[in-house]
Formats: sequence, structure tokens, C-alpha cells
Amino acid sequence: MTITETTGSTHTIVTICGTLDASTAPDFRNSPAIADPSRTVVIDLDKMDFLDSSGLGALVGVLRRKQEANATILLSCMNPPVRKVFDITGTCKLFHIFDDTDAANDYAATYLRGR
Amino acid sequence: MPQPPLRHPGNHNNAMKTLIAIKEQHQSWVRDAFPNMHPLLLPLCNKPFIEYLIDFAILAGSREIRLLSDGSLMEIEEICQTGSRWGVELTYANIRPEDGERELLHKNRKFCNGSRTMILNGYTFIDYDKRLDYRVLANHSATGPIASCSTGSIAFAGSPEPAADDNPLPALRITPLDSLRSCYHIAMQILETGAERYVLPGYGSEPGCAIGRNVAIAKTAEIRKPVSIGNNVQLLPGTIIGPMAVIGSNVIIDKGSSISGSIIFDNTYIGEQLEIEGRIASGNTLIDPESGASVAMEDPHLLTGIHSATNSATLLRKTIHALAAAILILLQAIPVIILYPLLRLQGKWKNGPITQQAGLAETLAARLSLDRFPLLPKVLLGQLAIIGSAPRSNSPGCRPAVFSYAEAEDWPVTGSDAAIVERYHAVHSTPFNDIGMTIKALINRPHKRNAGAAA
Repeated sequence: MTITETTGSTHTIVTICGTLDASTAPDFRNSPAIADPSRTVVIDLDKMDFLDSSGLGALVGVLRRKQEANATILLSCMNPPVRKVFDITGTCKLFHIFDDTDAANDYAATYLRGR
Repeated sequence: MPQPPLRHPGNHNNAMKTLIAIKEQHQSWVRDAFPNMHPLLLPLCNKPFIEYLIDFAILAGSREIRLLSDGSLMEIEEICQTGSRWGVELTYANIRPEDGERELLHKNRKFCNGSRTMILNGYTFIDYDKRLDYRVLANHSATGPIASCSTGSIAFAGSPEPAADDNPLPALRITPLDSLRSCYHIAMQILETGAERYVLPGYGSEPGCAIGRNVAIAKTAEIRKPVSIGNNVQLLPGTIIGPMAVIGSNVIIDKGSSISGSIIFDNTYIGEQLEIEGRIASGNTLIDPESGASVAMEDPHLLTGIHSATNSATLLRKTIHALAAAILILLQAIPVIILYPLLRLQGKWKNGPITQQAGLAETLAARLSLDRFPLLPKVLLGQLAIIGSAPRSNSPGCRPAVFSYAEAEDWPVTGSDAAIVERYHAVHSTPFNDIGMTIKALINRPHKRNAGAAA
């Protein structure tokens, strides 16, 4: 798995490429924007090819910590297999999910600024 | 006369698109009344609710439709798939319960792509007429809502085309689908006007009578229009069906019974010499749609559900779980025989987990998960799984079990987060994976308890 971070003034765009599972979840948790609880991030999942329960656990855990610090995670560009994991586990209710990273970016920059 | 093709003029990318957004808060009554039925598949006159919305979107000129929900769409996706059976492209996405129309458009910006978009928002029935051209309405209505009711609305986004004076916009009425009563009345209304207004399932040589496949009708059975009968139905001698009767699929109506002004849902058996009038029957439950009162019949000769046989995958899982439980019983039997009387006398082992771990006996009992021993025989009887959801969990889609997936994984074992991992494994785990997860749960449980005690 490779993680790329693009930092803006209000939030960071994190692009995940590859698999988020038990073996890669620690790397994900330790990446700078993810580890910073007060930083809102847009996670681009376009190139994520697999997500298991450990990866999902990492995402939910990070979301919980960020929400406690009044930040959040926005997800974008989920492919159907990854969306299915969110769908069956009911975690889709927890996240803001966008079909376009630019839309998520705009949402983070405008809507969340008013919080 | 053949219908004109429902093609939007101009560039395909700028063609009309439809977002169908349905939130769980509006459909919770369906979950309560019919726990095993996805609310979007609620049959209205033997046609699933979602198909009415898709039909209307097509009549409005949509070639691309996206279904949005804050609940699971997996079951719908398996049935509707890519929408090829309607000749449209059907995609799926998830929303949050609090999302308004603005958020829906924002979260689906790539799908909408600046095109004219119709938003069917909420759990409502659209009273359309297939003979009318709703493309006129879709193309020329002003941006914003054009119809609304207590449970939803129809709205448009994107610039409308200028309307020609001689193009009257067809009127549109939407009805809230918010109770059994409304479900019943809508089904009856469709039955009365169905063939003309809607595309309904089943064959009919005359108006007001739609009959599905594999329907066996006895010579002395009588059908009084209007009726709608599903697939795989048996009407035994002397039965009277109708007027105003909707019979679902996989239904048996036994000798001498009469059904009028009623809806018989799928997989229902109606016993002999019964008169059902103005009711909804589903499985062994008879419901008065006006008051919502229901009665579950104890006598299977009167009313009962028709269940499909257990499939081989379920049988394999149950067998493997039972074998695992038998091995665990054998392994735990001797420690239980020694430790249970001792701890019971000391009052340290009641019903439930062993909480005090000060002494050697309690620590040993906890490490061996002996508190779950009383549940293991239930796995042999097929009442519980060896691993699944927490014991006594009865949420839909969950599998009550001796050990939970949350205990096996590094997740909190209670609350909504536990439900996440349990639902994940309920879908993805194979019977053989379950054995590995059970071993993980056996190893992790004492570790977690110690961590909790240390905290």
C-alpha cells in the first residue's frame, strides 16, 4: 500500500493505493495527516483494491478520534467492491462519501469551515 | 401501438439523470412489520416498490439512475444489478441520514455532471400514468421541488429547457408510504387502475386479472376481478379469489377459503374454509391494515409461512460449527467439572462472564472461556453458531453465536462498532474461516479481559 498526502490550508487529501488490511493498517494509522486528530482529511479510495475488517477498523478508529477533535474524514471515489464493505457493515452511515474527490475537497473547504 | 423509445434528445452525457434517495427513517415501519423484507422490495400489487420508482425515472427520460440509501443496498443490488433489464445504467451509493438535497447533489457531483437531474427523495408512491410523457415535465419544470408530501418529494436540479406553450405539463401526485394502511390502500388503488397506468407483472387475457407463472387453479376455484396473482400459486378446490385480492408468490390457498379486499404476501399458506376480507396475511401473521393490529396464528393449519429448504452452504456451516462445538465440549468438560462447583460455591461464577479473576481457579476458568460452556450444546442443536454475533443478538443479518467476531478481532466487543465487524464477517467468512476466528476469539478473550482489568 502506498499513501500520498496533499496538504491544503483547511484539510489534507490522502490517496491510498493498494490494500488496506491487517498488515497495512498500522502504516495508515501512522501517516501524518491521519495521526493528527485535529486534521480533516479527504481519503481518495479510487486506487484502493481491497479493504478488510482490520482496514475498516482502522478507518472507523481514526474517524472516532478525529470527531472527538472536531475534525472528520471524507471518503471519495469508492469502487464497487470497497463500497460493498461499507454497505454491509453499515459504516456508510458514519462517513461522508463522495463520488468525486474535487466535490469532497470543496465540501471540506466550504461546508466544514462553518463548523 | 408501440411506445416511442424513451430516448432523451441531444448529447447522451447531458441526458436526464435520476437520483433515488431513500432513508431508513422513512421505512422503519416496514422493518417492524416485515422484518425479513427489504423495504425497497415491499410488494405493491406484486411489484416491488423500487421498480415503480425506476419505471417513473425511465418515463421521465432517464438513462442513468443512481440509488442512494443510508442503509444497506446489497440485497437490492443483487436483484436490480446494473439495470440492464430496464435498459438503463443503475448505480448505487451511500448517504448519511441527515443529508438534504444539496448534499445529495454534492456527493454525487460526478454522476450528475451538470446534467438535468431528477431527485426522487423519500419513501413515497408516485401516482404516474405510463401513457403520459413525463419527459416534458422533466425537461421543462423549474428547478426545485415539483411535488412533496410528508415522507418525500420530487425535485429537479439543473437548468430546464424553455417550455413550448402548447406543451402542457402532466400533473403528478405523490402519496406517503408511511404505514401498513397506506401500503394497503396504494396496493388496492393499483389493482383497480393497474393495467392502464402501470406496468404490472403477470399475464392477463382480460383487464383486471393478472396471473403469474406456474399457477394451478382448481376447476371449482373462482376468480372475481380485479385480482393479481403471483408465481407458483395453488388455488385449491372451492376457493374464491377476489374481488380486490392480491395474492403473492409461493402461496397456497386451501379448500373452500375466500380472499377479498386483501393482500396475501409471498410464502404464505392459507388454511381450509377461511374467509379473509380487508386484511393483510404474511406468513402466520394476519394484520388489520386500518388499525395495524396483528395476530400471529399458532395453528399451522390456519395460517403459516412457507419456508424454503435449508441450502447446502448453511448445512455445511452448521455441521462444521457443531463439530467445533463438540471438540470444545470435550476439551472443556473436565475443567468445568472441576472448577464449576468450586467457583459456584464461592459465588464467583453465576450466569454470565467470570468477572473476578483474583484467584487461580477464576483465572484458569476465564482463560479457558469456561463461561461459554453452557452455550456450546446449543450449537449442537443448531440454535447458535460457534462464532458470529454476540450471544442472544437478534438484529437482522446477525448470527447469534457463542463467540463473537468482535472478540476475535481487535474491535470493541459492545456497541455499534461490534456490529460493524460482525456484519463484515457474517458476509465474508467461510465455515472454515470460522474455525480460525473461533481460535482467535479463545486466545483474545482472556487477553482483552486482562487489558480491561489493567485499565
